[in-house]
Amino acid sequence: MTVFKHFIKIALRNKGVILSYTIIFLILSILNGSGNVQRESNFIETRLDIGIIDNSNSELSNSLKDYLKEKNNIIDTKLDEEYIKEQIFLGIADAIIIIPEDFDEKVINKENSIQIYNDDRKTESLQIENQINKFLTFINATYENGEYDLKDVKLALDKKTEVELVESDNKENNRGVVDWFKYYYNFTSYVIMAIYIAAIGLVMTDFTDENIGSRMKISSKKFLQFNKEIYLGQLTVAGMITLIFILGSIVLKGKYIGEVNFEKYVINVVVFSFSILCLTFLINNITRNKFIINAMSTVLSLGTSFMSGVMVPQEVLGENVLKIAKFFPTYYFVKINEMTVNSFLDMKYEISMQLLFAIVFLLMGLYFNKVKQKA
Amino acid sequence: MKNIFRNCIYQGKNLFRDFGFSFWSLIYPLIMAIFFYTALSEVLNSELENINVGVDSENPIVYILEEIDFLNIHEITQDEIVKKLDNEEIDGFIDRDLNIKVKESGINQTIIKEVVEQIKQMEKLNRPIENYDFEADYILDRNQKANSLVIIFYSLIAMVSTYGIFAGIETVSLIQANLSNIGERLNITPLRKSKFLLAGVIVALFLNLFANGILIIFIKYALKINLFNEIKYSAILLIMGNLFGVALGVFIGASNKKSSNVKTLIAIAITLALSFLSGMMNPEIKVMIDENAPILSRINPISIITNNLYRINLLESTKSVGEGILILSIYCIVLIFTSYIFLRRKNYDSI
Repeated sequence: MTVFKHFIKIALRNKGVILSYTIIFLILSILNGSGNVQRESNFIETRLDIGIIDNSNSELSNSLKDYLKEKNNIIDTKLDEEYIKEQIFLGIADAIIIIPEDFDEKVINKENSIQIYNDDRKTESLQIENQINKFLTFINATYENGEYDLKDVKLALDKKTEVELVESDNKENNRGVVDWFKYYYNFTSYVIMAIYIAAIGLVMTDFTDENIGSRMKISSKKFLQFNKEIYLGQLTVAGMITLIFILGSIVLKGKYIGEVNFEKYVINVVVFSFSILCLTFLINNITRNKFIINAMSTVLSLGTSFMSGVMVPQEVLGENVLKIAKFFPTYYFVKINEMTVNSFLDMKYEISMQLLFAIVFLLMGLYFNKVKQKA
Repeated sequence: MKNIFRNCIYQGKNLFRDFGFSFWSLIYPLIMAIFFYTALSEVLNSELENINVGVDSENPIVYILEEIDFLNIHEITQDEIVKKLDNEEIDGFIDRDLNIKVKESGINQTIIKEVVEQIKQMEKLNRPIENYDFEADYILDRNQKANSLVIIFYSLIAMVSTYGIFAGIETVSLIQANLSNIGERLNITPLRKSKFLLAGVIVALFLNLFANGILIIFIKYALKINLFNEIKYSAILLIMGNLFGVALGVFIGASNKKSSNVKTLIAIAITLALSFLSGMMNPEIKVMIDENAPILSRINPISIITNNLYRINLLESTKSVGEGILILSIYCIVLIFTSYIFLRRKNYDSI
């Protein structure tokens, strides 16, 4: 096991770099997981995030505000157009509403009485505009002898309708936790690809020296045995890295493991790691150029992640993008994380696709290695 | 002066022929832009879509619903409801008693609920129908596009504007005798290292700016995404980004004795992590940081560039540009000064 021992020795020499790389990405994964909103499983009305600036402060404007508060979340804003525009641009607020001083008068005259900053292309804008127009239409409908009937309007607005949530197959109830695991493990695929190629590539460069290469060629070590030991070395390093990420999820959300299908994520991430390890093996056999390896690490990891739905959800991506994504194992990995799995059979297709990729990568790697050895 | 000029030419040729440089600065940003574009093009061109509502043929309010612009009405039978909801052909179903069936909570479902409620509420309010003026529009619409995904592109540009970092690392290793052969030779000549370093910085700066220019032209004319409406401040920010990148590269190169391979990895990790925090992989991260630790986005150099780029180009706001440029300048000065301390007066007994 000389080759294996040497491989581990070099890996240990580089442990500082590999570990700090892993830790940086672990922190990124954790941040990525926490950035997402939690959802519930029974029907709840969507509450928009709106900001209100009231320059009128009349009875009418206050009752409008009360009505909007009941339906939406109010966020802080300030009367500064640049600030407001940025809040809309970034999606911090769905709409910012400015009520003018002569609000009551304008409402009676049915003029454009409220300024709304929002994005016309969003359904949310439709909703907030509907809410305001409805309220003011009702107000004007009750306008008699110079007075509104705010009480009647309020009573009418309290009238609700029933919404029934049609039974869904999903047995995982706690959506917030399910989402966390989904995002965390989806992001792991990016990280695993980036670290495997970069870190293992770093260790492998020591085997690239021409002199060492020639010496290895004339040694009595068999081609397959040599590759087996190299691969075993890579497997050890890779296993450690994946383990760190699995442990990361246990440490962070350990108490919720019972509420999600944890085995699904673990099996999936192990299979995916294996497939990416084979990809790494292939890349290292095609080239030992450190620049190309670093480049591959970043381009392949970011590129496949974007196209396979790690960064942007698969349902948002175009059909053509997904068609291309099917040529990478990441697509199948993300697919499993996104779906509800009741038994292993539910994900057999996606798992076998990943394994198929692994075998193809491995065989191609061995082929290139053989070609190189003959040269 | 002539000396610096000659050094610039040599180092420029040297760098340009280096595969690493051409890849990271020229090709890689283009590849990333294409990836981002293919992944996001459909999201970027989103438009307001109508809401699909299912009703059965005897629904008493069909004629009202059909009047509403943003609803598409589909007449379906009782046993199709679940299937159509599952396939997302309809967002919700309204039955004869004005009860609603949906499959998930969402904005479209909420709007359907509000429409039905409005009809019930009008009954409850009990005023003659002519009192309602549905033609009246009380809203003065101030449209501002919400497009946090564009941040990804600005963040990409911000990241590659710091890619002078690789040239910075390279230049420093050229003048250090313990790191490169040329360094050894340079150290025994009467040539001044500082001039050689200065030439390296100038070359790195110009070549990377050139690469940035190509990326911007590519995004604008090939991908047809309009990112730059304001040139002056955008250019200053990009130049500052370049300067920062080169300074950081020089600092990484000078501050430790690791191999250039490791240094490149450090450089990639730092720029990627900073870009991540500025929203390159998920704009929600940026929003989250802005809300919980705003100081982070004010000191993160890539965030400074990203934020100011979208502010000046899309929001026409130049308020925070001054502060950003100041902070970037401080970084550059500190990095260059500490690198200088690392590099000065080095003697080697044996190499």
